[in-house]
Amino acid sequence: MAVLEVEGLRVLRDGVLAVDDVSFQLAAESDTALVGPNGAGKSSLVGAILGLIPRQAGEVRILGHRLGPAGQLPGQVRAQLAFLPQALPLQGRLPLTVAEFVGFGWDPPGPRLPWIGGAERRSAVRSALVKTGCGPLAERLLSELSGGQLKRVLLAFCVVRPRRLLVLDEAQAGLDAPSTEQFHSLLFDLRRSEGWTVLQVSHDLDMVRRSCDQVLCLNRQLRCSGRPELALSRAQLERLYDPADLPSHPRRQAPMGRPRIG
Amino acid sequence: MTEFSPFTAVIGQPFMQRALVGGLLTGALGGLLGSFAVLRQLSFFSDALGHSALLGISLGILLGLNPTLVLIPFAVLFALLVNLLVQRSQLPTDALLNIVYSTSLAFAVVALSLVTTYKGGIQQLLFGDILGISWLDLALIAVLLVAAVAYLLVSLRAQVLVTLHADLAGAFGVGSQWHRIAFILLLAVVVAVSIKAVGVLLISAFVVIPACASRLVSRRFGTYLVLSSVIGGGCAVLGLLGSGLTNLPSGPCVVIVQFFGFLLALGVSLWRRGRGRAALA
Repeated sequence: MAVLEVEGLRVLRDGVLAVDDVSFQLAAESDTALVGPNGAGKSSLVGAILGLIPRQAGEVRILGHRLGPAGQLPGQVRAQLAFLPQALPLQGRLPLTVAEFVGFGWDPPGPRLPWIGGAERRSAVRSALVKTGCGPLAERLLSELSGGQLKRVLLAFCVVRPRRLLVLDEAQAGLDAPSTEQFHSLLFDLRRSEGWTVLQVSHDLDMVRRSCDQVLCLNRQLRCSGRPELALSRAQLERLYDPADLPSHPRRQAPMGRPRIG
Repeated sequence: MTEFSPFTAVIGQPFMQRALVGGLLTGALGGLLGSFAVLRQLSFFSDALGHSALLGISLGILLGLNPTLVLIPFAVLFALLVNLLVQRSQLPTDALLNIVYSTSLAFAVVALSLVTTYKGGIQQLLFGDILGISWLDLALIAVLLVAAVAYLLVSLRAQVLVTLHADLAGAFGVGSQWHRIAFILLLAVVVAVSIKAVGVLLISAFVVIPACASRLVSRRFGTYLVLSSVIGGGCAVLGLLGSGLTNLPSGPCVVIVQFFGFLLALGVSLWRRGRGRAALA
């Protein structure tokens, strides 16, 4: 069974058609990149899949369950979903430690008394922090983290309970090259060990070529899809991007390896 | 013959006992809700709500109704209207709030000038009359405090995620919009109920100052919430006692104590930061 099925999806954003008649499926444990120029509707598509933006037409099914018109999903299905935004712009405002934040990732959706399941929660948080190399950061405030550390903490937030589908919206934005590399190595390892199905919006076509199984090229409509070596050919990219925005040729880099966590 | 100290004489008065309990509850409630209001940049909203409440009070007086009873539905409607305007208009929130509250204040002053039967002074409306708080008011504030604690406790994850990132919250199953509206309504009701004790001009201090003081010294979210309530309640009690002993106005005394509490927290925060830098050097 596909983890995510999208069929004939149509999304309006501020009255403008952002996504038109998009259909695709994500197989279990696959890693799919969503690429396209700025304003192509990538974030709108992700928002509609997560139920954050209403859709005008089409169907979204997650783990076989239909996403309701206002983003409704059964609690046990919603708990299988994780999302990594580009940044947490308000992270500096909250006096929130890394351990406290990751703990909220463990809590299931819905009302709950904070002291219920305390021991199990603490153990899950410790384990998630170790898996992502964030153990030493547990008592640090979110405001005290570097960009790379925050991304690892966000991954800990996702990995603190078993999940099936992870959606990333330009999660590597704002990171320098070593941090980006480290983040993707960690994501690569976690995807394998946790059995995640990944859908990631990305502008980093080098990374997409090296780590993703499938590419979806979006410019309001799905322009092409398939394995990276085919979907990201020069000819396909020229059709997808304006000549001025066309990404440069890929750099030659080693395949993803073990994370280097510092 | 038994001799009473000034302190015993102050706390021996039934009205003062009610005021102390009222101050403790109102301060704790303001601190608790303020801790989220400050993080969500709703400080000015509580200020605007406080100022606009004067219109609700004026309407109550004009209609010959109990102003407190009119104030709660008025505050709820005001909060919903402002929320709708913020969502639908393209205007910055602070500019919109300024328009709404200055206009309601103008209408309120005009309405009050038409009233000839009102016995209370304008100063009581502006700065509150915590010494005149009744057992019914106390019961209402206590019920609100219990409701606010219960709501924030069971929805703590939702409140934190909504404050941090609305889309992140939504993706993890939190109805961001519902929680935002529910919190604004709770804040509106608390402001409406506390106005009698605190006054329209000082209500925002009850919401903002304890939370800011707590934010400066807290390193955990749980501590931040508890400390904000403790500072709110504690400063209210100290301010009221100071007011009783010096015969100065009660509401302003509480706010002055809150301000000193804020200065103390600022000092502690700066001292800690300096110590941290010295340890790194």
